[in-house]
Amino acid sequence: MKWVTRERIHIDRAACAWLIRRYVDRDAEFMFVSDPAEVPDEATAFDISGARLSHHGGDCSFETILRHFDLDDPVLWRIAAIVHEADLDDQRYDAPEAAGMDLLLRGLSLTLSDEEILQLTGPVFDGIYEYCRRSLLLGREPS
Amino acid sequence: MTSVRARTGEWVLLTYRLPREPSTPRSAVWRKLKKLGVAQISDGLVALPAGARTREQLEWVAEEVADAGGTAAIWLARPTTRAQEDQLALTMAAARAAEYQVLIAAATVVASTGADAGARVGAARRLRNELRAIQRRDYFPPADRDQAEAAVQAVADLPRQLLARPRRRGVQPARPASKSATWPVQETP
Repeated sequence: MKWVTRERIHIDRAACAWLIRRYVDRDAEFMFVSDPAEVPDEATAFDISGARLSHHGGDCSFETILRHFDLDDPVLWRIAAIVHEADLDDQRYDAPEAAGMDLLLRGLSLTLSDEEILQLTGPVFDGIYEYCRRSLLLGREPS
Repeated sequence: MTSVRARTGEWVLLTYRLPREPSTPRSAVWRKLKKLGVAQISDGLVALPAGARTREQLEWVAEEVADAGGTAAIWLARPTTRAQEDQLALTMAAARAAEYQVLIAAATVVASTGADAGARVGAARRLRNELRAIQRRDYFPPADRDQAEAAVQAVADLPRQLLARPRRRGVQPARPASKSATWPVQETP
């Protein structure tokens, strides 16, 4: 399937792309546009003005996608807290990691293309997932 | 600065209208705009220096306005004169300067009270969070920015000063008896 989002991605879009590829559509192809009008009919838009899979009711797009596809894995919701705070910084969640993630993605946006950022952040989110999973299982920090 | 800017920079503008009632979405939108540090040009027209992030932030506010039954639009614009742009920048810098001064006053109070080390560590953390929040919306840093950083750092340094007592001789690490015992002797040319 084709998935479309706004170009010059930041934390929410990078995390959504990872989430989509891992949990929704293994063969997802991503496209980046500057205007919502450029979204092709056959593609699914996310984190873009007017899209169903976007910010809604105070949720960031990552949270919207979790709700939309009934992904109720608590590990993913822990990642959602980090993504939400890195993106919106509204203190809804306690996620001190958010500041670091924000810096990381802002830095990458200065040096890499959107495609390259997705390639790089995929394994990063895999690692974060494993860390959060073990944290939840152990009830403490795993490493 | 000695360099002369050839032309004015790009700004992202949000125009919006929201019904007066209910007032909750109105104040929620205003709170968000305040947090972003926008320059208010006139009623329902705010501006930020254009960038991927500022543009996105205003886009989400625009969407929130639309969700609340209002109308909003995002524009990219360039002031036609430098004076116009300088005025915007000055207004924004002055707003941040006032926020830094409030923070400096709060930090000074903490520094001058006899709170214990633990309370000061907590106060330093709160002040740093507040400092960071202001810095995130500080697009034209005034001199007060450095002063605020120093004032908050001074609070953070306080507990350490209080805890730093003269070391007892016994716990001081033993030093080598003579330099030559530990350090290779330098060859003389």
